[in-house]
Amino acid sequence: MSQIMENPKGGCVLAGINSVLGAIDRVCPIYHSGPGCCMQTTAADQGQSGHKSSCFVSSVSMPSSNMLEKEVVFGGTDKLRTTIQGAVDIIDADAYFVLTGCTAGIIGDDIVSVTDGFQKKGHQVYPIETPGFAGDSNLGYEVVWNTLIDQVIENDVPKDEKLVNIFGIVPYHDPFWSGTLEEIDRILSRLGLKVNTFFTKHQGMETIRKSSGAALNIIVNPWLFQGPAKKFERKFGVPSIRIAGLFTGATDTTKFVRAVGEALGLEQKLVESVIDSEEDYVYKYLGQAIGVVSWKRFAVVADANNAVGFTRYLANDFSFTPVLVIVSEPIFREEDKERIIAEIQDLEYAAPPRVLFLTDQYEINQAIRNEEKEITLLVGSSNEREIALEKDIQFILGAFPMNERLVFNRTYAGYRGSLTFTEDIYDNN
Amino acid sequence: MAEVQYSGVRESRPGRINDLGTTGKEAEEQFRKGCLKRADRSFAQGLQCQQINSMAALMSLEDSVFISHSPQGCVGCAIMAVDMYRVGQIHRGIKHVKNPRLFVTNIDQKSVVFGGEQKLRDTVKKAVDRYHPKLAFIYASCASGIIGDDIDAITSDLQTEYPDTTLIPIHCEGFKSKICASGFDAAFISINKYILKKEIIPKEKGLVNLFAPTTVSYADQKEMERMLNQLGVQVNYIPFYSSLEKIKRIPAAEASTSICKVFADEFMKTLWEDYQIPYSHTVMPIGIRNTDKWYRGIAKVLGKEKEVEEIIAKEHERIEPLVAVLRERLRGTRVFICGGTGRSFAAAALIDDFGMELVGLETPTYDEDAQVDIEYLNGIHKDYVVDIANMQPFEQVNLVNKLKPDAFIGVPEWAAKLGVPTTHVLDGKRPTMGYDGLLFLGNKIADQLQNPGFNKKLAKHVKLPYKDSWYEEDAFKYIQK
Repeated sequence: MSQIMENPKGGCVLAGINSVLGAIDRVCPIYHSGPGCCMQTTAADQGQSGHKSSCFVSSVSMPSSNMLEKEVVFGGTDKLRTTIQGAVDIIDADAYFVLTGCTAGIIGDDIVSVTDGFQKKGHQVYPIETPGFAGDSNLGYEVVWNTLIDQVIENDVPKDEKLVNIFGIVPYHDPFWSGTLEEIDRILSRLGLKVNTFFTKHQGMETIRKSSGAALNIIVNPWLFQGPAKKFERKFGVPSIRIAGLFTGATDTTKFVRAVGEALGLEQKLVESVIDSEEDYVYKYLGQAIGVVSWKRFAVVADANNAVGFTRYLANDFSFTPVLVIVSEPIFREEDKERIIAEIQDLEYAAPPRVLFLTDQYEINQAIRNEEKEITLLVGSSNEREIALEKDIQFILGAFPMNERLVFNRTYAGYRGSLTFTEDIYDNN
Repeated sequence: MAEVQYSGVRESRPGRINDLGTTGKEAEEQFRKGCLKRADRSFAQGLQCQQINSMAALMSLEDSVFISHSPQGCVGCAIMAVDMYRVGQIHRGIKHVKNPRLFVTNIDQKSVVFGGEQKLRDTVKKAVDRYHPKLAFIYASCASGIIGDDIDAITSDLQTEYPDTTLIPIHCEGFKSKICASGFDAAFISINKYILKKEIIPKEKGLVNLFAPTTVSYADQKEMERMLNQLGVQVNYIPFYSSLEKIKRIPAAEASTSICKVFADEFMKTLWEDYQIPYSHTVMPIGIRNTDKWYRGIAKVLGKEKEVEEIIAKEHERIEPLVAVLRERLRGTRVFICGGTGRSFAAAALIDDFGMELVGLETPTYDEDAQVDIEYLNGIHKDYVVDIANMQPFEQVNLVNKLKPDAFIGVPEWAAKLGVPTTHVLDGKRPTMGYDGLLFLGNKIADQLQNPGFNKKLAKHVKLPYKDSWYEEDAFKYIQK
């Protein structure tokens, strides 16, 4: 199913799995793979996401069986066993996940029998049998959650009607993931909710184990997490709502807050008072710089989540003119594409932009190069800087892969993030 | 009969080992007696694979496309070379900064079962149609190697279809070597086989091949060129930021040298065998001693021993007063060094320039070349630990925690979390090499080591992932003979 690609954004499924695990506090991936996979997969996702990588273990600090010719020929399970033993002996992790590289996948090493042995001795060692060639890094997010649902999350956790789980913000695949989760957490906490982001606040394995006690799963993404959400509901009885695109700015963030309030039956007065104060915060600033940011006709190249958020904010809230939106992650299901197009094109006043689904850099560049309408602002990834320079378009680095920025807690999402986004768009030239 | 051709796998050279925990004295002695044996670690952390080096070495070449016959993850590390290419263009004053034309065939489940030949064919077609490149490099991967795709045969078949593009397969399957520098050799072997083809071309008097890997900054390039120009020679700077034309000029050169010890060292041997180009293989030109040594090495090959001494004397006049100041600031500092083969030994020589003391050295391989450096270091430093390891941060932090050095030179990530002052001799964007580079580097080292506030405060808040018990264990516990 994987396509030939020029300048791909992100790595293989292993890179995606590693990114998600790396964002969970005190979790140690163990690679059963060739010698370079730890470094390659970390560089592919974490390494292109604003220069922030997992603080616990990442790249060459992750345990690896480093399979060479001998293991390729004779099998590598012995090497894997001593590697896991070393990891549990010296690394102080709350859980260990064994990942399979292409080498182990192709020669067919049975990793489950090895991890079983460690589980019997009481070690939290979980197998993930999805080799790198099985897909791209997006898939990794769902693979990890399916693993957690199948093997880690506990049944019979008492329900907490104020507890919600946040899904759909993919660590590192979205360079602003930390800041975005913090903003979502901040807003929902004002509604009196307890928020499982799973990847901030030192939440870790214990939070994941008890996440079945949540009252609601909130999926902030127009297409990811469909399978795991169904499985989560079937197994633990937790329903889901889908917010079909990451909200940037007052309009969409307010819609999000109301959707959550409605799904949980929260007191309307509380919900509206939070909305009032948050919108007031945003407009108090916007009101101080009217006409300062010059008008733009814009294009966006980003993952679906951010493509929706950026476009809708710039068009609906900032009265810029949308021209072209390119969703640059591989999306295969037609209904997903339709949902994304609807979100991007259903605008309040602005005429809908053209929406394309392209992952290949040459095709992305060609689409921008050949766009008939003038573009004066391009929000994209480091890969799009070239075409922006070529066409002399103002360029905002706002999407993955992101190499010319250091990102800690910055976000363009939510109420407060939209102010940061607007600050970045300001251009005195 | 001709010698068996070098395979490109560094382990195939006799006496070269990758896994060892010892001391400087013992290493020297055991190597001399032929007692260093190949070992392995029963527990290890990730390595850098050779494919990364094969790609990085060439990704700044003009008019080229780079095709990785692999799943998508295998181009992950390409970002480092992509970044160097982009920043390198900015440093060279290019306004319209370009991306390298990097393709991945995206081997998937179907390819694993049925082979990936068609994907490779389609990718080459796409790449050639889009860019009409002069060169198309085709990189093997673990996956392509294990499923048995014959990239040589496919390439040779496709070459007839695309006569205007030279197709160059590179055998850099990750599982073939633990030593990532093997990837450099794999790239040069293919350059020789598919571009140079042992054809003899007229010599250009005063032309010198200067081999540079991707980690050399533009400032360093200019300094190296300045130094060689002072010897009255022209520089063919390759393969970093170069082109097919410059590669084709390689056999015309009067001599060759390299900036890095493990970059093009094997290729320079081949250039001597196939094109009778003499070469200098010494050290990385970092610090006074090593810069002198590197400079004298190439000057000797060019028959310019007298000239180089005059230049060196002049450079020393300029540099030594500064080094004297730095020596006062740094004398007696106890240092732990970790780096690639070239940089680690260069750093070790550099600290001698500054009167610092070596307490630990981590370097990826031990071989004849390393023995020369260790003999030199043993003449200066009485007692220091040697860890032959490609990174392996778990061993590093164990050793650093025990040895309690005043300073750490290398990738700072782990030592910083122990609160040890850190600095580095690797910076692909700023100066480090030659006489000019030393001015910048020396000040950086002295300033960073004397102002360690960041690391000290960081260590109070951020803990390394290892259990406390690990720091009590033998650092080399997992090395099995």
